[in-house]
Amino acid sequence: MKNAIKSAATLFFLILLATPVCAGDIRLFVAASLKEVINELSDNYSKKNTGVKFLKNHGASGALAKQIESGAPSDVFISANLEWMDYLKNRKLADSSSIGTFTYNTLVFAGTPGKASSMQELVKLERIAIGSPRSVPAGEYAAEAIKKSGIDKLLDKKLVIAKDVRECLLYAERGEVDGAFVYRTDALQAKQARILFTVPQELYARVTYPMALTAAGVKNKDAAAFFAYLYSDEAKSVLTKYGFAVK
Amino acid sequence: MIPLASTDYDAIRLSVQVATAATLLSLPFGFAVAYLITFVTFRGKLLLEVLVNLPLTLPPVVVGYFLLLLLGRHGWLGSLLNEAGIRLIFTLKAAIIASAVVGFPLLVRSLRIGMEGIDPHLINASRTLGACWHDTLLTVILPLSLPGLVAGSSLMFARSLGEFGATIIVAGNIPGVTQTIPLAIYEYASSPSSETMAFSLCLVSVAISLVVLFLHEMMAKKMARRN
Amino acid sequence: MQLSMSVKKSFGSFTLSAAMSVCGDRIGIFGASGSGKSTLVSMLAGLLEPDSGEIVLNGECLYSHTKGINLRPEQRRIAMVFQQHCLFPHLSVRNNLLYGFKRCRPEHRTIDFETLADVLKLGGLLDRGVSNLSGGEKQRVALGRAILANPRLLLMDEPLSALDDALRFQIIPYLKSVSEHFGIPYLFISHSLVEMRLMTDMVLAFEKGRLLEQTTSEQLARIRMGQSPVGYINLLKLTGMTKRDGMCSYCWKGGELLLSSSNRDTVSGLFELSSKDIILFKKHPEAISARNLLKCTVAGLFESVSKIGVELKCGDGMLVAEIVPDAARELGIEKGGIVYIAIKASAFRRLAAL
Repeated sequence: MKNAIKSAATLFFLILLATPVCAGDIRLFVAASLKEVINELSDNYSKKNTGVKFLKNHGASGALAKQIESGAPSDVFISANLEWMDYLKNRKLADSSSIGTFTYNTLVFAGTPGKASSMQELVKLERIAIGSPRSVPAGEYAAEAIKKSGIDKLLDKKLVIAKDVRECLLYAERGEVDGAFVYRTDALQAKQARILFTVPQELYARVTYPMALTAAGVKNKDAAAFFAYLYSDEAKSVLTKYGFAVK
Repeated sequence: MIPLASTDYDAIRLSVQVATAATLLSLPFGFAVAYLITFVTFRGKLLLEVLVNLPLTLPPVVVGYFLLLLLGRHGWLGSLLNEAGIRLIFTLKAAIIASAVVGFPLLVRSLRIGMEGIDPHLINASRTLGACWHDTLLTVILPLSLPGLVAGSSLMFARSLGEFGATIIVAGNIPGVTQTIPLAIYEYASSPSSETMAFSLCLVSVAISLVVLFLHEMMAKKMARRN
Repeated sequence: MQLSMSVKKSFGSFTLSAAMSVCGDRIGIFGASGSGKSTLVSMLAGLLEPDSGEIVLNGECLYSHTKGINLRPEQRRIAMVFQQHCLFPHLSVRNNLLYGFKRCRPEHRTIDFETLADVLKLGGLLDRGVSNLSGGEKQRVALGRAILANPRLLLMDEPLSALDDALRFQIIPYLKSVSEHFGIPYLFISHSLVEMRLMTDMVLAFEKGRLLEQTTSEQLARIRMGQSPVGYINLLKLTGMTKRDGMCSYCWKGGELLLSSSNRDTVSGLFELSSKDIILFKKHPEAISARNLLKCTVAGLFESVSKIGVELKCGDGMLVAEIVPDAARELGIEKGGIVYIAIKASAFRRLAAL
């Protein structure tokens, strides 16, 4: 009996401690809106570079930054706004010399056709999905646009907070909200929801995706190689295919 | 300690509203179901007992997902309600329903224990003295199940205060409308800069739970003494 | 009251099958535990449905399997007093008493609350809660509650079994007087023959789910004498106690009796004397240690299992003594003969003060 307990305990601790990080692993922390792009790029890269394995984590950029700050192991971070990259840079968790811009995007309002055709018309709606302005860049851009339009007080109690931009899209797709603030690239993938209008650029800062190697990623040769690949023409053509702007 | 933001007060108010409404809504149904299970024999009783206990063992998000299937715009019941102009998803009503479903087994469990402790001879006595079954229910069974009722209600109330999984799926996170304390804390916790703000709200949540659980323990002891 | 019941009920290995027809106001149902008494009574009250049969009370059919009739308990107007008083713990004594009364139809509310409270001596308890009452008080309240509902028939299911001896025989007069006073017939269930003889005229004896016999309680006691370890219990009302030589001298219908003194002697009381404790003499014995020696006439003889019961007339009193057939032959006991009986002063046991 005692032996059984000892072996069980040993096994338990081994499992706890084991974080198999094999050579050839590249850990990507990527904004939610880039999910398909990164999937395709990493697949292409794997075909040409057998032996590398990708571990991908998609989500709201703020939530990802928090995970990295809490010690989640990562090599490459691509954020949907400058704020979260700066956040990590200031904490020396992102390698400042590697920071560059991956791509750009535009903010649109997508939903059930006919519901609204401009920012001002949003006040007629009952429910609008928006990413959490505290951690989702799409939500931060939208909040900025709402404030600059002067309708923020009027939209009080109408905003359904989502944990990332894809959840916003999901709510719009299900029809449980009248519309959602998503990126143009997300809306292009929608099946039920349609782009109702593009949010005027003057209302918010341009959607920019900075990317960098993390402090750990700098030491990872495979990660650095992949990082360079993300600047390649091949990468740019994939981005364009999905509707992202490359300059 | 950082003072609470106005959205935090909203969250506290909504939490109490949802917990109270869910408990009050469930009481008559819980009482009826507990009565059926304790005093009536019928075919399929085992099935009823299992169904009632199901939300207790299912992950709350699964409960939420099923509620969404049922009550969503394209859902089985939801489409009918939609035609009648009634909308449940992403409203406070959905939050109340989610809490009610998740807490229901706790209420019924407590009520059953209370009712099973009632001496069956008392019910026989009441019937032979001229009381029909519903008269007996109101004048004998109900008063004697009160401790079980209070214990069950307080337990359900406490559970509703902490309800997250089902709520976030059917009611969504809408500040001022459905953002209860757990949802607010979750949102704070997802953002790196807002952690400290979550703390105050957490303390409030703990305080409310303590009060409610104290009440529950007192009632449980009272029931134990009576039995 | 006219009751005819013929029912059958099985659960597991036990089957109750009984057919009876009784007429009277004080009927007893006698049997050991497990004999089916409570089952029978539950079916009569409507709390348990028989498998088949019929129950007719005062000409009204309460249950009939063939006709598909099964009146609910609240429709039968048959009230019950249980072994464990079953008072409602959340109601006061007064509200317990009035529970059935309030549910009576107005034309049936003929029993006067004050009178009942008087007869059962409940006056001082009315506004108290039920949890602090003594066992006897609780049972009196339970009785009052059942009576106030003005039932057609009162069922008492071993109402005295949970009480101690002294209390038991104190309550019996209440049970009888209340039923007489308010004209409510009762069915009294018990496993005690003594209680049966004090409470009922006609008894139905059950064993293992079957009705064995239907007879008077007195007759049943005689029939059971031979198989009972205590024989036939003679019940004597003794009065006018005076102390004599450290003993108690009582007046009895049949003469003076000397009893051992105890620390709870009362002026009068109900006493029991076993038939086994009476010794018979053919001739007057010159001197014996027993303090009671009486001359009696043999009024009759009966057989019970392997014993002979001798009915003795002493003055105005009657006693039954138990002897073996050999002794009867030896002494030549026969009806009309004179015998002398000896009873030790310590053979009497007091059941209740009167």
